[in-house]
Amino acid sequence: MSAPLCPPRPAVAASAASVLALAASLSWSPAHAHALAGDRFFPATLAVEDPGVADELSLPTVSHLEGDERSTEVSGEWSKRLTRSFGVSVGETWSRAAAPGEPARSGFANLETSAKWQALTDARREAVVAFGLSAEWSGTGAAGVGAERHTTFTPTFYFGKGAGDLPASLGWARPFALTGAVGYAVPSRSRAPGEAEDNPRVLQWGLTLQYSLPYLQSQVKDLGLPRPINGLVPIVEASFERPLTGRDRTTTGTVNPGLIWTGRRFQLGAEAMIPVNRASGRRVGAILQLHLYLDDLFPGSLGRPAW
Amino acid sequence: MGRLVFLVPLLAAAGLGGAAEAHAFLRSASPRVGAQLAAAPRALRLSFSEPVEAGLSRITVSGPPGFSGAGAVRAAADDPAALVAPLPGAMPTGRYLVQWRVISADSHPTQGRFQFEVRP
Repeated sequence: MSAPLCPPRPAVAASAASVLALAASLSWSPAHAHALAGDRFFPATLAVEDPGVADELSLPTVSHLEGDERSTEVSGEWSKRLTRSFGVSVGETWSRAAAPGEPARSGFANLETSAKWQALTDARREAVVAFGLSAEWSGTGAAGVGAERHTTFTPTFYFGKGAGDLPASLGWARPFALTGAVGYAVPSRSRAPGEAEDNPRVLQWGLTLQYSLPYLQSQVKDLGLPRPINGLVPIVEASFERPLTGRDRTTTGTVNPGLIWTGRRFQLGAEAMIPVNRASGRRVGAILQLHLYLDDLFPGSLGRPAW
Repeated sequence: MGRLVFLVPLLAAAGLGGAAEAHAFLRSASPRVGAQLAAAPRALRLSFSEPVEAGLSRITVSGPPGFSGAGAVRAAADDPAALVAPLPGAMPTGRYLVQWRVISADSHPTQGRFQFEVRP
């Protein structure tokens, strides 16, 4: 099962090793990078798309979940700012699924592209609001792994809110932040030639609750936390989807507790994936991600807005 | 073709990786963030994760009645990633709010704030 609000990411598996090698060569000094609203840094999240527009590369994101079949996905996404508040991204996913007693199937999912407009950034309230439109393009993936024969468009609303405007008496709570996304996936046609069932319209939604130790250290109370603990963001993500048309309208999703470590030029994330019901999976899965801050890696070229 | 697009930043990373600057975030402060002090500090020193442009950066300190504010911000002589601002000799007891906004060497702006307290 793919996380509903996590855009498919590229699956150039052979490149993963080189990216990891690059990451290993970079500094591990804690700090962070891009999606900022006042004093708040919103890290890129693994299952729920974050509200920021940034120059960034998630590669790879690797997830594994077991339901009726064992599913492993390797994905990636490259996001590029065209202006300071508007950006585009392209993502792809390679997946391998194996059902008991059947040969494994593998291949690429449909290519996904998206555009996002960060419409509001309120520094004082540490708030971000964004709107996006993503498209999964028909005919660009392998039917054997479920790539659909229709294009799906998903307009999405994103938000992020830090708790930094709480009063000083609640200082311990100021490192909390909430982000979320709500999308409505619409297939380009209700049934494509050769498809057995109508393609449903799907509501997708997700929330993240995060507690930033870097924020605690630099804005509230320097506890003298050592590396790498002072760069950690404990997080819980919850990602769901529910078909609103068609026969099967079961809600599926996962709740993902985990950790994100934020560095100067990249971050690492690891989360468990707890299925919310049997339709979502039968065992706890896992998701891992390396995320590069291209605006900090290449501030004068690749990492700055095109205009 | 769509999949090949991901190779672009990877190749760029492989060829250009190195001396890039990043956003400047507060690494440490003196007085420490959230500190409770028995004696008034003589100066404020903020150390960042990246070199910062002192001339384009701002630090303000507000405090109890009678506090006259911090002096002019300047780059620390021993660290291009640190800023210092003198504090007046007489600092009334109470809470002080430090607000900073800096521009890193690659022009990324960042900001933050924290409190410390001078106790009787």
